[in-house]
Amino acid sequence: MQSIDTPAPPNVMPPAKKTANRLAATKVGGQIVHDYWSDLFNAKDDGRKVVWYNGTYIPPMFQTMDLAWVHGEAWSAYLAAKHGELPAQKAGEDRGYVRELCSYARTHIGSALLDLRAAVDKAAVDPTDARALTTSKLPPPDMLVNAYPYCSSGQQWDQQIFRLFGKKIPIFNLSIPLLWGGRADAGYLRGSEWEERSKYVARQLRELAAFLEEHTGRKFEYDRLSEVMSYIKKSAELRMEAMDLCTAKPSPASYFDWIVSIAHVNFLPGTQRIVDYFELVKAEIQERIAQGVGAVPNEKYRLFFDGMMNWNKIGWLAEKFAAVNASVVAGRYTHMSFWQEPQLIDLADPIMGMAQNYLICPNNHGAPIMIGEIDRVCDKFDIDGVVLHASRTCRGMTNSQFQIADSAKKHGRQAMTFEGDVVDESFYKDELLNTRLEAMLESMDSRRNYFAKSA
Amino acid sequence: MTTYAMGIDFGSTTAKTIILDGDGTVVASCIESMGAVSDEGVKASIAGALSQVGITQQDVGFTVTTGYGRRMLDVSQKSYTEITCHARGAVALVPNARLVIDIGGQDSKVIAVDSNGLVETFAMNDRCAAGTGKFLEVLARAVDIKLPEMGPLAMQATKSLKISSMCATFAETEVISLLAEGNGKADVLGAVHAAIAARTAGLVGRVGKRTPIVMTGGVAKNVAAVHHIETAVGQKLVLPPDPQIAGALGAALFALDEIRMAAKRSRVIDEEDRDVNSAMDTARACGPACKSTGTSTAAGQGTEIVVAPPSTAVI
Repeated sequence: MQSIDTPAPPNVMPPAKKTANRLAATKVGGQIVHDYWSDLFNAKDDGRKVVWYNGTYIPPMFQTMDLAWVHGEAWSAYLAAKHGELPAQKAGEDRGYVRELCSYARTHIGSALLDLRAAVDKAAVDPTDARALTTSKLPPPDMLVNAYPYCSSGQQWDQQIFRLFGKKIPIFNLSIPLLWGGRADAGYLRGSEWEERSKYVARQLRELAAFLEEHTGRKFEYDRLSEVMSYIKKSAELRMEAMDLCTAKPSPASYFDWIVSIAHVNFLPGTQRIVDYFELVKAEIQERIAQGVGAVPNEKYRLFFDGMMNWNKIGWLAEKFAAVNASVVAGRYTHMSFWQEPQLIDLADPIMGMAQNYLICPNNHGAPIMIGEIDRVCDKFDIDGVVLHASRTCRGMTNSQFQIADSAKKHGRQAMTFEGDVVDESFYKDELLNTRLEAMLESMDSRRNYFAKSA
Repeated sequence: MTTYAMGIDFGSTTAKTIILDGDGTVVASCIESMGAVSDEGVKASIAGALSQVGITQQDVGFTVTTGYGRRMLDVSQKSYTEITCHARGAVALVPNARLVIDIGGQDSKVIAVDSNGLVETFAMNDRCAAGTGKFLEVLARAVDIKLPEMGPLAMQATKSLKISSMCATFAETEVISLLAEGNGKADVLGAVHAAIAARTAGLVGRVGKRTPIVMTGGVAKNVAAVHHIETAVGQKLVLPPDPQIAGALGAALFALDEIRMAAKRSRVIDEEDRDVNSAMDTARACGPACKSTGTSTAAGQGTEIVVAPPSTAVI
């Protein structure tokens, strides 16, 4: 056995000072998100009808009809990011939604329960409790739309909301079937299954348009949809271009910058403002590349993050990885979702391209195609290791993680798993992540040193 | 120069301290129970090891810590995870090891090691005490026997029972139910060990089975755990003489590396200084004309220092 040089071991304890060099542009992005929520809270006062929806990025359909919309996941993530999720989660648990149930759903349903309770009995929410008040701002729904690919909990979530409001609110279910990928001609964005499923979802989008017409009494203007989609498409192109620039070393932006930029392409209105935002992001990234500035000051490891985000741990995790010189460069959630194939959108008739982007939610492929795409992203960004966040209440996204880890190892990358959750902080144990991350970086170090000496 | 290297494994249930001399020979080994959450156990372990050699902490050249409490110790000069240290220790104890199963108090792990003794990949228990020493402790209490009696009694099992839960709390409920149904302690304990083995086999599957397999950690002393894991993975396990000290030994070997590297750096600097002085002396003796001959020895081109040989411990 050869003597092993022992470089300074990584120390994943939270750093005393901030190390992560987050994009300044994301502050502008934060303001846009803030404005969206403020606008939403006033929707009823403005005389707009409100749709509650869950699942994929269908707001362009609502924006075309000048509706306001509440994305359940986004609302739960918003509460978690502001550390205001606990009253809603407690209300959900009190109703009988157990902790193992999707915490997005539990938080959103709990929030609705608080709102309903407050409406019935104003005293149920303490007016001096800011955290409880945070969860009682949502305008109630006039329509419900469910558009969940892959996730069975997600598909039942809106059924629960439907029941909660006395089964009186019109509901539309958009079925987005799994791309099994089992046929001989199957591949990413190709094959007979892909063609059939694309048409199936596109047909339903036209039915959704008819549903919205029926419940608003207004015509669905496809020209208006094209206009909205022109902003979405441009934003998506800019986002993907900016992400691609992060093949540079050091990576000028990190996964955490992309995480806080999801809202803009996921559920914010398609306007020039989001185009401007991604132009700003891209410009800052180009400037950083020109100056050799990285998202992590001393980038030593390049990592891929698999799984959903811990929305109440964004800053915490960004600092944790940066403190050990690990730049989380890409992720399944950020790089393989949210209009990641904008070229499919034909602005003359955007419905088919929209349907196709909805189908390619990263969970909605059979494992071989999905893992092949992950490996492709890892190769592109020259990834050293894969961090798998096994979200306790989102088993849909964790089911294939053992296979993802296996594939990473076959490609010469390290892989580690830690358990946490999307918005239920109680499932996250810091020491579990610390030990696994530290051990992965130690083994990378020892192997790098060994092979450097052998060269 | 002090040449003793110390490795401390600050675990959740026991603290282990190993001291190596400059040749890599283990000169002290001390294991203490942690008891309640405090650092008394680890202090006793360090003190015990120091007294075995008859030295004080000042005589230790470098100290590396590992384990759950690795960052809590003032004497620590570097810390590494249990993964890295158990792999290093296990390979030192069994040089051809390719897979290390370590079941400690707080977690269980399976580590694949390559032919150079480097960690290739690893997998750990995902959550809580599932499949760990703590799991066994809780269930020993449930059947009202002492931990060391658990393995031998489980080996007497004649019936095949099943514990389905790996949550210590739920498994305890299952154990109590099985006892209440009239099953014997031995049969119930057999099921407990089979449950741990199934969990461990799952981790082996994630990492990929390769042989020889070495088992380390306190649970390796449990004959029933070893038997059931061997059955579950279909492979005989190699057990080092004292499997519990592997992590501390690995840490001590890293400490020894530090001492040797420091010595090497010191020698290089000495020789560079000597070369520079020699060159300066030559220059002074010859005068300017001499320099053009290029006969002086440049600093940095001194004798090559061979890296210290493999730091394999001698037990």
